[in-house]
Amino acid sequence: MVMMVAPALAVSAEEVAVYGYNSDPIVFWDPRDAASDETIWMNNVYERLLHLNFETGDLEPELAMRYEVSDDGLVWTFYLRQDVQFHTGNAMDAAAVRDSILGTKNRGKGLAYIWDAVKSVDVIDGHTVTFRLEYPAPLGLSAASALGAFIYDPKYVDEAWYSAGNDSGTGPYAVKSHDGTERIELAKFTKYWRGWDGQHFDKVVFLKVADATTRRLMVESGQIDFTNQLPPQMIADLGRSSSVEIVKGPSFQNLIAFFNTKKPPLDDPLVRRALAYTIPYADVITSALGGFGQQSRGPVPYGMWGHSDRIKQYTFSMETARALLTAAGYPDGGFKLVLTYTAGDDIEELTAQLWKSALAQLNVELEIRGMPWESHWDYAKGTDPLKRQDIFMFYWWSSYPNPYGYLHYMFETEQEITWNLGYYSNPVYDSLINTANRLTGRNQDEAIDMFIEAQNILMEDVPGLAVFDMQYVRAKNADLTGYVDNPIYTNVVFWYDCHRK
Amino acid sequence: MTSKSSPYGTIQLLRILRRQPLLFAGFVGVATVSLLAILAPLVAPYPEDAGSATHVDSRLLPPSADHLFGTDQLGRDILSRVLFGARISLSVSVAAIALALAIGVPLGVIAGYTGGVTDESIMRGTELIMSFPELLRAMAVMALLGPSLLNAVLALAVGWWTWHARLVRSQALSIRETAYVEAARAMGASWFRVVFRHVLPQCLVPATVQVSMDLGGIILTFATLSFLGIGAQPPTPEWGLMVSSGRTYFLTQWWITLFPGLAIFLTVLSFNLLGDGLREIMDPRMRGHQRRG
Amino acid sequence: MLSYVVRRCLFALFVLVGVSILTFLLTRVAPSDPAARWVGPRATAEQITQARAELGLDKPLPVQYMLYVSSLLQGNWGISIRTHRPVALDLQQYLPPTVELIVFSMFFAVPLGVFLGVVSAARSGTPVDHGARLLALAGVGLPGFWLAMILQIVFFKWIGLFPLSGRVAITTSVERLTGFLLIDSAIARNLPALGDALWHLVLPAATLAAYPVGNLARMTRNTMLEVLGEDFIRVARAIGAPEARVYFKHALRNVLGTLLTSTTLIFVYSLVGSFVVESVFNWPGFGSYAALSIMVIDYPAIMGITTVVAVSYVVLNLINDLAMAVVDPRIRLS
Repeated sequence: MVMMVAPALAVSAEEVAVYGYNSDPIVFWDPRDAASDETIWMNNVYERLLHLNFETGDLEPELAMRYEVSDDGLVWTFYLRQDVQFHTGNAMDAAAVRDSILGTKNRGKGLAYIWDAVKSVDVIDGHTVTFRLEYPAPLGLSAASALGAFIYDPKYVDEAWYSAGNDSGTGPYAVKSHDGTERIELAKFTKYWRGWDGQHFDKVVFLKVADATTRRLMVESGQIDFTNQLPPQMIADLGRSSSVEIVKGPSFQNLIAFFNTKKPPLDDPLVRRALAYTIPYADVITSALGGFGQQSRGPVPYGMWGHSDRIKQYTFSMETARALLTAAGYPDGGFKLVLTYTAGDDIEELTAQLWKSALAQLNVELEIRGMPWESHWDYAKGTDPLKRQDIFMFYWWSSYPNPYGYLHYMFETEQEITWNLGYYSNPVYDSLINTANRLTGRNQDEAIDMFIEAQNILMEDVPGLAVFDMQYVRAKNADLTGYVDNPIYTNVVFWYDCHRK
Repeated sequence: MTSKSSPYGTIQLLRILRRQPLLFAGFVGVATVSLLAILAPLVAPYPEDAGSATHVDSRLLPPSADHLFGTDQLGRDILSRVLFGARISLSVSVAAIALALAIGVPLGVIAGYTGGVTDESIMRGTELIMSFPELLRAMAVMALLGPSLLNAVLALAVGWWTWHARLVRSQALSIRETAYVEAARAMGASWFRVVFRHVLPQCLVPATVQVSMDLGGIILTFATLSFLGIGAQPPTPEWGLMVSSGRTYFLTQWWITLFPGLAIFLTVLSFNLLGDGLREIMDPRMRGHQRRG
Repeated sequence: MLSYVVRRCLFALFVLVGVSILTFLLTRVAPSDPAARWVGPRATAEQITQARAELGLDKPLPVQYMLYVSSLLQGNWGISIRTHRPVALDLQQYLPPTVELIVFSMFFAVPLGVFLGVVSAARSGTPVDHGARLLALAGVGLPGFWLAMILQIVFFKWIGLFPLSGRVAITTSVERLTGFLLIDSAIARNLPALGDALWHLVLPAATLAAYPVGNLARMTRNTMLEVLGEDFIRVARAIGAPEARVYFKHALRNVLGTLLTSTTLIFVYSLVGSFVVESVFNWPGFGSYAALSIMVIDYPAIMGITTVVAVSYVVLNLINDLAMAVVDPRIRLS
């Protein structure tokens, strides 16, 4: 039977790993532009100067062997490895690093903003490069970022060359072939600087499998070795299978509910505070997340520096909510709110439905609308604030491990609406976080205090509320070893470190 | 006696039903679904579950005496939701068909009767709309207007009116030449009167037969749109939406997708049987052949 | 005859132009920002404005349409906002898998449906007829997404007879020539891959076949019954022709016209209607491409998709009508 024959053929001399992903792995080909799902394969093809170890919090050497920072935090010097080659055949040197990073910064796409503090980059010698900053910033974090920090061969900048399926990285695997945007195959780069002693995969395939049930069946039957997020409900069942191992880990992803501060009744902070008491947090964690997560404390997620117990946390309390609503002039509720979320996301949908149920008890009608992401976002950017939604629900996560990202993008005053979807504007808050950001490179502890203060301002005004911090739950082949969960490199498996027992 | 000699007397009716088990089955099916839909608030054991109620403690329970169809991921009784879902499916479909007929039949009659440029332009218009595949049309409209039940009705009606217009037009074409209509014209009846009092009623018969089959098709399309996420929105207990949201649990909590899916299937099948059966007995060409067998 | 051909071709052209204008207007009127979609989820406001200029979205509508049409005719179908690849390339990529699936499915569905219809007509009024009609109506009424899921569970999870998803096993690779795996593996004489591809086709094709079988069975039955009442059939019977020949030779021939039209319509419908099957079986085809593009209002892709569908519809209809006109003089004289 063909079914029997096919697996037999697959057991060839080559070790092939398969990563089943829920979305298209290929979005942009150019390492300077990559901003989302490409991270899962680009982090095996490209490398960066430093690597952030989540457990210890240390910046570890990657393409740079070590680095030095001047006392004023304005000059960063990196000492590069001397044995690194690009897949294109050229050797990596200081000039390549300089051109590579400046190329990303100047192109202005993707995560170019992580280099905003850089004033100039100088080549000291063949393998030493110096960054001069405009203000003291934690450049090490930028250099270790999951995206936007790749060192690529700067002689290759032609978009058409990249789109044809080529890569200019230094990493252990190189792009071999691809099929549309759903499948990409990498093969090992024999001249990789770490060498190939020990057990390693020869090839890695990244495959889009949109349907969660199909993906789950594939993991169970061993057709894929690793998959990212599966719905929490499936995880419980999968855990019982002996061929599958469940991997849980913190993520930097949280669920945010923005309140439209420009539209009554949510223009009244009392009403917003009341609503913060009406979310059934415990039920949401159990039903929507399957227990894989915890209630947020402020918009900076658990596990990232800047998160703290000193930040206020709301509880589920209908009496408090009722009291606040009465104080605001709505003793019997009687108003309607429209909540929009991204269609197709079960977790958001369940959360919204539980909230709706709770609000019904206060005679507040919550209409929930699932919309495709583009329409969802567009609706929130409409010209008339009164015509926009009342509550905007979505996830936030950051590829750049800095609380400033969360606090700046979502709550700082915006001229043109992008991510501040509560339309909040508070000059005190704005100056507080920007001062803290500039302080981070020099005095992180003081910066943390300021970030905490800023978050407490947000908890008082409640322009938006972080509902829960998610845990990432993934399923992998029980025989697969070497995977280390690192929320900074979201969804990335460093396949070089893995092998199948 | 008149009742025995008229072709549709009770005895004749029973005879027809006996010879047409499919029509009978379809009729029973449609009647059952309609009845259940109307009586849902009274018959459903947990009517609040069809709205925004949630019962986190009784999530994902298998079928039992308390919950004949089990409960879903928010603890809601699936039987109650399926019953209320019948209301939504039927009301949206009937509304869409009514709108389609309201647009299509008059346009078709005018096209067929008037002929000339009016006919040509209306027909070209229908062909233009029909060259978009149905699902694509409906999806495009929903994507533009946003998901809501009203928009779904519009999206569905947009496609189906063309079909009826063409059907009615060919009827009108043949009726136009009959002596009956010529007489009306000779007597000086206005164009308006001739079209709407004389021609239109005769065109309605084939249209009504087609309607039953159409209802089945519309229910299916609407379920598919909801399955995709651009039809009914949660927590509406629409069948397609229930199948879609149950997909995650499909392998272990199979009842969440099975029962709504079954409801769609049986309802659409019933309408199809009814429509097909009506066609059987009303089409004279069929009748002639059948008496042989 | 010639005037008929000319008339039909002109009309076909008219429909194509009309469809393209209609789709163009619809996508431009849509309340969505293609520039934001292009740049991706973590874009800044400046990046979006930059993208808008790059994509030419700031020009007046008629100009955009003319630009579009001229580039279309030159073979440049624009760049998809969602995949960032040329739409022509995307279509080249995603059409073959769906066409392969539909053709494979129809290959079995058409004879099966017709056979069912003929049997139904021959034994009309009997339980055989009733049973066949019930099957046909069930096929037409089954929700595709539901059937797909059930087949997957029964034939993969429980019985383990057919594969779960995809066109071939993950580790099988076939050199891409036409995009049709059956053809490509045959050309490369890669028999295991050919077998693998066939094995993967079974479940999705079966799901897709339910509607055509039901539809064709009904069409065939009803048209045959009409034809069987005609005089020439009575004559054939009177002469003493065997029943089988009466049905399959004389009656069926006259039914061909309707069959052809139905098959054409079903083919075009399946191009987009296949997306549910494609989604459940992870089949990277035209249907899912169409569904995804519509959901995110990827206007170049949508234009490409509607063009393909409209052209297929118009061309197939044209061929159909012309073939019928050759066979039946009454048509071209009307």
